[in-house]
Amino acid sequence: MKTMQSLIRLLALLSLGGAPLAHASAEISGPAKVGRSAWLLHFDSDWKNASGLPEKAMLIGLQGLANRTAPRLYITHADDFPWEITGPIAEFYQRKHGVQFTALKTADEALTQFAQYAKGYVVWDPAVMPTMNVAYTIAGLEDAVIVTPALIPLVAKHGLKPIDDLRGRYAGMTDVQIYAEAKGRYWARCSHDKLMLMGGHAGDMRIPGVADWGVRERMFFHDLSANPAQPDEVELEKQFFSEMNPGGFVFGWHSYAKDTEEQHTTLTSTFGLRMEGLQSLPNLSFNCQFSFTPGFRFANQHHVDRATKLVAEKKVYLAFVQSDGIGLGVWTKPGRGRLSLAWSAIPSWLEFSPAALEYFHESATAADYFIGGLSGPSYMYPNHIPAERFDGLMREAVRQMERLDERVFEILDNSAADGNVGNADLTKATVDRYYAAFPNVIGFINGYGPARTRDLRDTRPMISYDYYVDPKRPRDEVTADLNELIALNQKRPYFCMVHVRESNDVNSLVEVIKNLRGPVEVVPVDTFMKLAASNQTYMTRYQDPDDPKHFEGYTR
Amino acid sequence: MFGRFFAKRVDSKRAQGVNCPVPMKTTALKRMILGGLFALGLTAALAANPALAGRWRLDTARSSTLDGWHSMDLVVALNGSQVGLTHHMQWRTTKFAATNSYDTARAVDLKNYFRVEQRHMAVYPAKGGITHATAAWLDGGRTLRLEVETPVEVSQGNVTMRIYSEYRLGELGDTLTLIELHSSRERPLVYVFNKVTGEEKK
Repeated sequence: MKTMQSLIRLLALLSLGGAPLAHASAEISGPAKVGRSAWLLHFDSDWKNASGLPEKAMLIGLQGLANRTAPRLYITHADDFPWEITGPIAEFYQRKHGVQFTALKTADEALTQFAQYAKGYVVWDPAVMPTMNVAYTIAGLEDAVIVTPALIPLVAKHGLKPIDDLRGRYAGMTDVQIYAEAKGRYWARCSHDKLMLMGGHAGDMRIPGVADWGVRERMFFHDLSANPAQPDEVELEKQFFSEMNPGGFVFGWHSYAKDTEEQHTTLTSTFGLRMEGLQSLPNLSFNCQFSFTPGFRFANQHHVDRATKLVAEKKVYLAFVQSDGIGLGVWTKPGRGRLSLAWSAIPSWLEFSPAALEYFHESATAADYFIGGLSGPSYMYPNHIPAERFDGLMREAVRQMERLDERVFEILDNSAADGNVGNADLTKATVDRYYAAFPNVIGFINGYGPARTRDLRDTRPMISYDYYVDPKRPRDEVTADLNELIALNQKRPYFCMVHVRESNDVNSLVEVIKNLRGPVEVVPVDTFMKLAASNQTYMTRYQDPDDPKHFEGYTR
Repeated sequence: MFGRFFAKRVDSKRAQGVNCPVPMKTTALKRMILGGLFALGLTAALAANPALAGRWRLDTARSSTLDGWHSMDLVVALNGSQVGLTHHMQWRTTKFAATNSYDTARAVDLKNYFRVEQRHMAVYPAKGGITHATAAWLDGGRTLRLEVETPVEVSQGNVTMRIYSEYRLGELGDTLTLIELHSSRERPLVYVFNKVTGEEKK
């Protein structure tokens, strides 16, 4: 019901823009022009392999083809979709870029409109799921849509001819055998700047939301494992990574069934590659074709000047940060604006999704403050970035921060952690590199779960999270946890950095703060850094070689 | 309600026969009678209820919420005055086991003391830290009391956390309730365990 209401609201909003312009008006290149037509599909929540996936997989691939030369097709999603911003950003396109959307109601309507951008179809086998990824690879190279056998009549009706049929070709083969065979066939023609890790959910569902981008950019699709328990898959993935161009991107996400986020990000970082999540991220093929609106400049809401010197009082200073992918969760939930909160925007969206960044800045409240990260120009684990790649990557991160008007940089290395617990610390060598690479920041934040890397050099503190707010933890226990930290850290000032997991409810955190004991003050992150620079009551510490490590990493 | 536990430490010393004054004028006969009664009482006080021994599984629905762990089994081993508490913890696919060994006859110093941490707090065992622990049986051996002083590392350095715990055996012998109080925490942590039978161990 809620989903239907959202759709009705969205379509009503979009209909205000009037009738679509002639289709030819969208035939432009370069930054999008004001006043254009585009089409809009709305997806429900059914991503099951046996029901909703095949049609959605076909349409997302078709979106990549339709958006090759102009932004023509945009997809909005149900309220429970991981990225909750597809509706608000569609509204932003209409309002700020003059995009006039026409709703498409069915796959048949979408094919009627966009089959002209496909040269044919590739058949994948739902009984051999990696064939969906191979089909997507072929789709990008051959301008094909991907279909299951059941969908052949639909695409044939629109005049599409068979280009390839994967049924039987990979029967009985392991994943590594399938991808090795496909590598031999297709990899040479694929992009070596961008690779698609189409993992995520396994079992009876998939959400290949970012496949449009992979098709548009002619990427190789796979879901190889970075789990050392599957050494053949790791070795094949290393081959791909070693053959990519320096500074290349890995889009998508790891397979939840094969390995962990920590393992995969460690592996990409070991090769100096930039990880860009998630596998569900929608509409990049559309978003990448818009620039910022004329006259727009990022103006972060700084609370202190770079040169300001503050003196901390004998208080407990708390600062809150939300560092998961912006657009996942909290941003669109009630309560934002009631608590001073720092947000880690996704800096590579300067390149791939500028309108989304502009939307976030435009809709920021006075309590929202943007910070740089995560760890580099994309999501990376710095303890594992090759030394010869580090400075080049960080120069790009510095450039991003300057454009985004950000002054605090956030770092995360979870390579030795076990999810959001365990060892998330930086070696001293890594800390040294950051201080050298970011001379103009006013401070660094480290961690995801709690960590204990801390430093203060000149006026730039490096502070790790002292607490991670698990969204499932009862609020009275969160209150007790924070009060216990305040009791154990007896010196004043005490600087307590708190990480707010994406799906937390801000309103509940406001109530937690009301029940904290002692001389507590919540401050914005930039103010926090200036205060922390004035009185180092925290211990300087780096990753200790004796600290337990859940995972040691890889050799290249 | 927990203040009383700290206030009555002298009672536990009495139960262990440590510097225990006898508050009455005594004769030789009285001394003998009292000595006999005291020995009987001491024996009762020092003996653990054997039903405590074995494997116990956390009832998460009735317990304080674990943080950074999904499940916990506790194995109680009794051997004279020695008590072994082995924690079998699980987080996602990671399994971890650690044993704390106590002695109701004497205080012990533990090098690798395991605490059921709230793992999303930056509170860690202090490197090289020694944990001082005392243990005693209360309530006729149905309750194990632990008093622990353990060094922990926080962002400002190392500090000592005092932990007072009682492991209380339920009347039917099928539940074990751990009440844990930190010197630094206002809310007690309450963990309720159910006895694990041979079938459930699988």
